[in-house]
Amino acid sequence: MLYLELFLSFVMIGFTSFGGMSMIPLINDEMLSHGWMTAQEVADIVAIAEMTPGPLGLNCATFAGMRTGGVMGAAAASVGVLLPSLTLCLIAAIFMERFKESKLMGHALYGIRPVCIGMIAAVVIQQSMANYAGTWLLGMSWHALIIGAVALVLLIVLKWSVPKTITVSAALGLLFGVLFG
Amino acid sequence: MDQKQRSRLPDVFINFLKFGCFTFGGGWSIVAQIQKEYVEKKRWITDEELLDFTSVGRSIPGLMIGNASVLFGHHVAGIPGALLALLGIVLPPFAIMIAVTFIYGLVKDNAYVSYAMMGVRAAVVPIIISAMVKLFKAGMKDVFCYLIAIGGLALCLFTGISNVLIVVIGAVAGLIYMEVKERHAVS
Repeated sequence: MLYLELFLSFVMIGFTSFGGMSMIPLINDEMLSHGWMTAQEVADIVAIAEMTPGPLGLNCATFAGMRTGGVMGAAAASVGVLLPSLTLCLIAAIFMERFKESKLMGHALYGIRPVCIGMIAAVVIQQSMANYAGTWLLGMSWHALIIGAVALVLLIVLKWSVPKTITVSAALGLLFGVLFG
Repeated sequence: MDQKQRSRLPDVFINFLKFGCFTFGGGWSIVAQIQKEYVEKKRWITDEELLDFTSVGRSIPGLMIGNASVLFGHHVAGIPGALLALLGIVLPPFAIMIAVTFIYGLVKDNAYVSYAMMGVRAAVVPIIISAMVKLFKAGMKDVFCYLIAIGGLALCLFTGISNVLIVVIGAVAGLIYMEVKERHAVS
């Protein structure tokens, strides 16, 4: 049955990956082996997932499910990819709450928190290389750099919210695109 | 589940629906949005707790955004809170994606869409930086923390080590460091 197959396929993808681009090879294999999509279509989903909000894995699940089994298929695939959050993560949440006061837990978190800061810094560097790429100085895009600088001021100096900042950045992107191609 | 937790449920669901509409760029913007709404404005959680949800969420299989939502939701409003936060964060992308499959051809190569998306993508890094700046103090208590952060950054950038292993290394380093520090204080 298609819905069950979609569900199981995305359960497997969910449990064996850690989100983001790391899911792409898995999704690619599953889609091609079931004949649900072509390699070109998988590449298209990645592009579309970048244009729509939400995690890449969920976007892929929704798109693949929709393509093969309509809205029900999309729902089955999405619940599948979310299953680790609903099970493993919920157990982790209960565990964390229970051992919140434990000394060992506190000590472990003392080391985990700076690691997290390091991981966020890595994401900043990786995303910068992808999002500011262009044909201008040092292979960067001046449109993107200006918008990035404006967004930084809006967020940190003027303390704007994320939705407002994203809306203004999209408008600026549109403006630059129309004016300068 | 107590009265306080129950009264938080509608707030969690509505705010996560809102967050769900603006999670671009691998979803790290959810961290910035939770920080602003629930650390700064409502003070339901601390910066430290948000860092814990982020790092634990990142090291459990599945989608980091989903995991972070479940951890936050459970912390502030129990299991119903976890389920509502997850439902809230996934509904908008789910609905938008369904709509997009119908107009896929129109959107895919549309110049205006790609212009606007260039702008959105340019805002992703500042959003992540703004979250990092606010969380910095919560994670960095002494020289040891700086060493760990630099080590974590280097492992992420220059090796293919999984995030789980990096978080585990951080946990073990924290346990050893604090143990040594306490023994030192006693003697």
